[in-house]
Amino acid sequence: MSRRATLFVLALLSATTSCAHPEIQDALDRLTTALAATPNDASLYAERGELYAQHEDWLSAEANYLRAAELAPGLPRLARARGSLALARGQVSAACRFLGQAIALAPSDPTVFILRARALARLGLTPDALADYTQAFSLLAAPSPELYLERAALFASPADALRSLADAFVRLGPVMSLQLRALDLEISLSRFDDALTRVDLLTSASERRELWLKRRGDILVLAGRQAEARATYVAAQTAIAALPAWLAASPDTVRLSTELTRLATTSP
Amino acid sequence: MSPSHHLRRLVVLTLALSAMSTLRAATTIIRGPYLQSATPTSMVVRWRTDNTEPSIVRYGLTRTALTTTVKAEGITTEHFVHLGNLKPNTRYYYTMGAEPVARPAAVGTKKVGAATPAAEAQDGPGRAPTSSFVTPPESGSSQPTRVWVLGDPGTKGDTQRAVRDQYYKFTDKRATDLWLLLGDNAYPDGTDTDYQKAIFEIYPETLRTVPVWSCLGNHDGKSANSITQSGVYYNAFTFPTRGEAGGVASGTEAYYSFDYANTHFISLDSHDSDRSLDGAMMTWLKADLAATKRDWIVAFFHHPTYTKGTHDSDKDSDSAGRMTDMRQNFLPVLEAGGVDLILTGHSHVYERSFLLDGHYGKSTTFNAATMVKQKGEVRADGVVVYRKPRARTAHFGDINVVTGSAGHAGSKTKPPALNHPAFYISLNEAGSSVLDIDGLNLTLTFLNDQGEKRDRFTIIKE
Repeated sequence: MSRRATLFVLALLSATTSCAHPEIQDALDRLTTALAATPNDASLYAERGELYAQHEDWLSAEANYLRAAELAPGLPRLARARGSLALARGQVSAACRFLGQAIALAPSDPTVFILRARALARLGLTPDALADYTQAFSLLAAPSPELYLERAALFASPADALRSLADAFVRLGPVMSLQLRALDLEISLSRFDDALTRVDLLTSASERRELWLKRRGDILVLAGRQAEARATYVAAQTAIAALPAWLAASPDTVRLSTELTRLATTSP
Repeated sequence: MSPSHHLRRLVVLTLALSAMSTLRAATTIIRGPYLQSATPTSMVVRWRTDNTEPSIVRYGLTRTALTTTVKAEGITTEHFVHLGNLKPNTRYYYTMGAEPVARPAAVGTKKVGAATPAAEAQDGPGRAPTSSFVTPPESGSSQPTRVWVLGDPGTKGDTQRAVRDQYYKFTDKRATDLWLLLGDNAYPDGTDTDYQKAIFEIYPETLRTVPVWSCLGNHDGKSANSITQSGVYYNAFTFPTRGEAGGVASGTEAYYSFDYANTHFISLDSHDSDRSLDGAMMTWLKADLAATKRDWIVAFFHHPTYTKGTHDSDKDSDSAGRMTDMRQNFLPVLEAGGVDLILTGHSHVYERSFLLDGHYGKSTTFNAATMVKQKGEVRADGVVVYRKPRARTAHFGDINVVTGSAGHAGSKTKPPALNHPAFYISLNEAGSSVLDIDGLNLTLTFLNDQGEKRDRFTIIKE
């Protein structure tokens, strides 16, 4: 029995148990009906494979991709789909190979560059991965914060990671998840003034200033600026006092206030 | 220049103008208008035309005086106009285009059930009908708010229409202030055509009068990608990414937050964004919860934390583990942040929990003695009442509502189990939910497709 035939039998066995949800079953039924009418339509097999892949039924997905590949090896969506599947299954080298083919077929598809960047990163080929991220970013109108964090994580040097985030702030604005990562990186580099600048930005944009003032005080302590830290903790208490009474009385805020009192009086 | 030459030029000019006029008259609005990213001082008006033309909105404080004109750059078929410097809690009248354009015929709609004055019909022939909207009140203010909540509506069928019409009948002249779509807005694949038929042709009048907010469902995700923020869902909607509607800047339309009066709404992407504990969405959520000063926190996303409806949250393989991720990773953070209400869809039933805290495992680990914070007092009118302190308190309890039957319910012949012990009530019925927030009272009503109020609970903060 060929590999494809074996896979098909296994896939059928697994599919009967894994695809109980009616919506998935409806979509599969539609495709199966369409395939009965046009059994040599590779794109339908590819689509069915993608549906299985979405639901992490890897075996059924691969069986359908293999059939599609037999029928139309050059089908544009197939290389990307097989690359994505290989990556999800941890077959990283195969993923790189398929995704390379996909890029040759569709060099303006940012998703393929992202997938290959992830595969290359897992192979430890960091410069190549970074190049793919850069290419993807150039093709995207608005890269998601997740992508910027992924790329920043590849840099061994915090300074390089920090530089890689700069573009995000230009394109996306002061995104919280990225600001917090940048803040951690600034502190790890002992760039306390830059860290304070970032905290000030977050404070000015926040309705609840006390949390960010507490963070500011903590950074000042790290920087050895104790007197300023104490003043900042007091400022945080003042911000709490300005909250509506019901919010100032919330247990978390009361705990924070107690902590601020301790810090304002006991910081060295 | 000879008189005959003049005449020739005049004829050519007349013909050109005539042709232009014909082209203009042929331009038809084929989608919208619809309202997006509402803030107390701004509104985004979007619509689609069959031919390219400038994006122009004229608006004003009275129907007869649309005195302000805003024009976006360029010409397009996908129109996006940002109206700024508006007054909070104020009705504005608006129309699109500098010149009259035809509007699409409403498909199967009976009445508005929204903030729509009866004067719509006063528009003269050939004139683009004037619509209106009310800007949200100042953030933090206390004002009665009605929210229409639709989970998994987009089947394009009779059930979807029945659910819609029963809500219109229920709300009648009470204006809808905003509406939430809980994902799977357009079956089967969330394509542009699916959206056109399932959303834009089903709810045209609500769309042009009430701002709509959404989260991504798995069927929307078939034609959209959160990582690249591309595809039909992301093209169709405009959501705040920089915290411009309240809350913290997320940098993405996949997840975001906004304020309406004294309520903070959080939209999460349970389908396609990173759901890990150290992911960008989680980092943002923690900061967003910590930053809000609103009385109420309502979170909405597609995949339920608990369900025994047309999906089973006990099966890790169901929905590729997304329900498990939302329950194990996100629910603890939401509960620590003092969330009051969680609205989800995906499962085509109505399931509503007790006031709960701390249930992050499978249904077999549910311990009512420790996890049910309040069973609720049943009032004489049948409303179940829960009480919370106004002071935001982590892990005081929240109510989880699965309301994913606005387009269809589960099978009648092979009904879902509906036996999750976390739920106070479970119904295999089509319907939508109506959320009314008035000061320190929050009431949710489940209205089925027969117009029956099948569940009603109130949380009172004191």
